[in-house]
Amino acid sequence: MKDRVGIGWRPALAAAILSSLDRVDVVEIIADDLFDVSNTELRAVRTLAAQVPCVLHGISLGLASAVPVEALRLDRMARVVEAVQPDFWSEHLAFVRGGGIEIGHLAAPPRTDATVDGAARNLERARSVVGVAPLVENIATLIEPPGSIYDEGTWIQKVLLASGTGLLLDLHNLHANATNFRFDPMQFLAQVPFDRVTAIHLAGGKWIAGSIGERRLLDDHLHDVPEPVYQLLTEAGARAERPLTVILERDGAYPPFDRLLAQLDRAREALAIGRACAAERQAA
Amino acid sequence: MSAPAFEAFLAHLYVDATTRARFLVDPTGEAERAGLSSDECQTLSRFDWVGLELAARSFDRKRQQTLHRAGRRLGLWRRVTRRFRRIMGTAAQEGSP
Repeated sequence: MKDRVGIGWRPALAAAILSSLDRVDVVEIIADDLFDVSNTELRAVRTLAAQVPCVLHGISLGLASAVPVEALRLDRMARVVEAVQPDFWSEHLAFVRGGGIEIGHLAAPPRTDATVDGAARNLERARSVVGVAPLVENIATLIEPPGSIYDEGTWIQKVLLASGTGLLLDLHNLHANATNFRFDPMQFLAQVPFDRVTAIHLAGGKWIAGSIGERRLLDDHLHDVPEPVYQLLTEAGARAERPLTVILERDGAYPPFDRLLAQLDRAREALAIGRACAAERQAA
Repeated sequence: MSAPAFEAFLAHLYVDATTRARFLVDPTGEAERAGLSSDECQTLSRFDWVGLELAARSFDRKRQQTLHRAGRRLGLWRRVTRRFRRIMGTAAQEGSP
């Protein structure tokens, strides 16, 4: 199996993706968008999956939490996974609700032993209900998670070790967190157990400022992939031995589709450079 | 205080502007009123205030977008799957793989 480079399936991009399948190796569908669709519509998505390799991506389970994930949510994910038969499915290492309140987006949990254990239990529940465990994704955060005792890299390693699951490495999330909290993303990659990495996300973002003027980088999926993220992809390509599925995430402010295809080509190039470096190192 | 209760405290802080305003004025007092242990209150003394402001703003925008898009998203999917079925039906009639 070879590396694959594809894009997030969005209704607004559907026609362009379907007419460019010679340049899109794989599409990633947001599973939550399918939770309420009919069986007929799920069959149509299954037909799509027969035309182009599909993977599923969840955004609302909130697995990285000391609170057990609700069975109903896992049942809905299981229905979609069963219908679409993706190559794999993934979810974020985030909590999205607490005390009956929906936060509305992915929040970084306190990086503690309690959330490591909670995530491992939730991942086991997910594996049990859905039939296969998700890959877990590192998230971007604008706030240093309060109450943490571990840094991000250590905490993720502990979750992977406790759960035995694989990692979807989001390189723009890594870039944003490294920029906002002043750590070296290359050192972070040196800590990542690449034997667990199967998939990679690329995206873009923008700077935002607080009321006292301090700026932080927001992962908004509305901008082109910045050059440092391609450099991280090259490094990941050099470190990973297994084939990688690389997905470009774009959620709006869509440019002409050619510009998105050019970013897929740039990703292939960055990955190939990393693969070549690894081959040279191995030969030396 | 348990880990789920600490997550609930954070969820309130991220979503509720009134809780956030009280926390800004008196972090320890607000944490104690929420039932956090003294150890947990201690961890909040190193709080990322800029991050709280930006994260709360970002979460608020996401909630607004989710409300706005929830109905529209399903409609879009239905249109896309209808169009896809039409394309596949046409391809099948033409004998395409």
